[in-house]
Amino acid sequence: MRRHWGLYLFPIPALALYLAFFVLPAAQGLQYAITDWDGFSPSYNQVGAGNFARIVTNDDQFANALRNNLTFLLAVVSGQTVLALGLAVLLAARTRGSTVLRALFFLPTVLSSISVAFVWRFVYDPNLGLLHSLGVPGRFLGDEDTAILWVAVAQIWFHAGQMMVLFIAGLHQIPAELHEAAHVDGAGRWQRFRFVTWPMLAPATALVVAYTTIQSFKAFDLILGLAGNPPRSSLDILSTRIYTTFTNSQLGYAAAESVVFMLAIGVVTWLQNRAARIGAGR
Amino acid sequence: MSQPVFSRRSLLRAAGLAGGAAALAACAGPGGEAAPVTSGGFDGPVEGELSFAHWRAEDKDVFDQVIASFVQKNPKVTVRQDISASADYQSTALTKIRGGGVGDAFTAFRGAQFTNIASAGVWSDLTGQSLIGAYEPALITAGAQGGRQLGLPYQLVFNMPVTNQDLLARHGYAELPRTWDGFLGVLDGLKAKGVTPIAWPGGDSGNGGQLINSMVLNNAPADDAFAQVEAGTLKVTDDWFLTTLRQYEQLKPYFQGGATGTANEAAMQLFATGKAAFLATGSYAAGPVRKLGARFPLGLYAPITVANPRYEGVFNATFILGVNANSSRKAAALAWLRHLSDPAVAAVYANGTSQHVTVAGVEYTNPDLRAFAPWLTRRTLLAPRFQFNDLDVRTAVEEAAVKVVGGTKPEEAAEAAQRVVDQKR
Repeated sequence: MRRHWGLYLFPIPALALYLAFFVLPAAQGLQYAITDWDGFSPSYNQVGAGNFARIVTNDDQFANALRNNLTFLLAVVSGQTVLALGLAVLLAARTRGSTVLRALFFLPTVLSSISVAFVWRFVYDPNLGLLHSLGVPGRFLGDEDTAILWVAVAQIWFHAGQMMVLFIAGLHQIPAELHEAAHVDGAGRWQRFRFVTWPMLAPATALVVAYTTIQSFKAFDLILGLAGNPPRSSLDILSTRIYTTFTNSQLGYAAAESVVFMLAIGVVTWLQNRAARIGAGR
Repeated sequence: MSQPVFSRRSLLRAAGLAGGAAALAACAGPGGEAAPVTSGGFDGPVEGELSFAHWRAEDKDVFDQVIASFVQKNPKVTVRQDISASADYQSTALTKIRGGGVGDAFTAFRGAQFTNIASAGVWSDLTGQSLIGAYEPALITAGAQGGRQLGLPYQLVFNMPVTNQDLLARHGYAELPRTWDGFLGVLDGLKAKGVTPIAWPGGDSGNGGQLINSMVLNNAPADDAFAQVEAGTLKVTDDWFLTTLRQYEQLKPYFQGGATGTANEAAMQLFATGKAAFLATGSYAAGPVRKLGARFPLGLYAPITVANPRYEGVFNATFILGVNANSSRKAAALAWLRHLSDPAVAAVYANGTSQHVTVAGVEYTNPDLRAFAPWLTRRTLLAPRFQFNDLDVRTAVEEAAVKVVGGTKPEEAAEAAQRVVDQKR
């Protein structure tokens, strides 16, 4: 073994890159989080935990962004999962036209988020928009109470096709014998879905939920494209809030917000894992 | 069997130590003291490769023309445009400028960015330089600090509603009233005739926010009222701002439907197609509106909200030109600014970009610029919304107006905004 010590040199380039592009920036982010640096001036002050204290106790805008983000997350995760599952169940079988329909539902995924934002700006415009011309009343993005849900609709449209593909892959993993056995035992279509398909889709569902959660936290460019910069408070989520703080010459505070943002993602992911384990009876 | 030299645990420990070292190294960060503003250093040859840093990609071709004429006069100089997106210009580009890598001559936004650059000592002091005499003195105050002229605000816009002169004249409103009630009467008359009185992009924070300039223009107790709001000496729950919000409430029936969700493009479309009499953004909309097919003559009008107005309208002088104190080509950078300050050159820029400039004696050939030109000498106030240095405070205050149009009570909207102002101080 000693003769092969040179093998340990091989990870060094990767380790160096990891240190340079992950550890160092992360460490810098943590370090700036306890300063009042504006991102430009040559000097700054250490403020200790001051930024974090302010975020937690005295920042309505951050609290509002967190609330919006959780609402957005719940709407997107539930809506997108149900829609993608429904589409997958309908289109999993190779029937006439199913390939074309799959491609159509998948198509939005390949668009850039800014293009999607511009399309939905047109859809939602209360005077010249598609919904308006179809006779749907409302202010849509201009309605403080529901604006974030309208963005969620756009986000679901954008990514549901991608999740559909994951579910279709999961459906194809289910052995046909299980369905046949259930059928022979007299299970109806709904019972076969409830007791065979759905439990067998647990890994795909966990993947879809996790992926959708991450996407919901990263909806940044779609929101900026729809709402402009900085977005109004009814459309502000954590990622846009951090960006606004950053462009507001408060890099230290933005770094602290990023740390809290990371913790929020960690908590949501942990809760999801717990829920998935409980669901799986572990 | 011999033991390996490195165990997995020792490797992980080494990685951890390296991470810790990186963290410590990172603690170096920025340091040192802010440099004082530098004067002089402009002597020297006008030569070398000059970097001109700015964010107006749409002006690149016009600047190329201006650069060509500059290089013709100064053959030993080349000028490179270092253009960043405006959002990037707020962050990464500025850091590069501070380092002197780019931006021998550079530009800055009015407000927080100008102040930050000043506190970092990156502006060279231009006080006493002859080129300052080429500008309208009242229009370059945004580039001064502490009695020194650090930058030269170059481009000039009027952040007040644009009018469709044909449509107004057709309905008998060739002359617009100088009172608030008279203005509401005009809006009422227009609405009765099936015209959308005001197209307002309330769903677009950048453009929708411009109307507040005109609305507080004469209501505010001081010219720097918004600066005082940020400083805490005035509040948005005070009467003057509540009055402003109540006036927004009065305007509500005269905006297009769903105004708080309307994007800028849609508002411009309403105006450009002759369906709306006013476009509540600013003179900078003239070019885009023409591109959308508008053929009617344009005017400008700020609602007069008080009995004895101090001001008739609003202007803003952003795009502040300066010379980088860290540049090794300051003489060439100053020569470039001097070239831009020549009325003939400024005219090329102005007419080519459809923007007024602060340089005196410029001949405007663009019809819209000619139509707006009388406002260059009228009683106008430097746009109040840009007095805010904190973007969050500005957004909260502007959002109070949007909320009122959306149905929130003025008092409630003002209190929510004031709470943000208090938290950000």
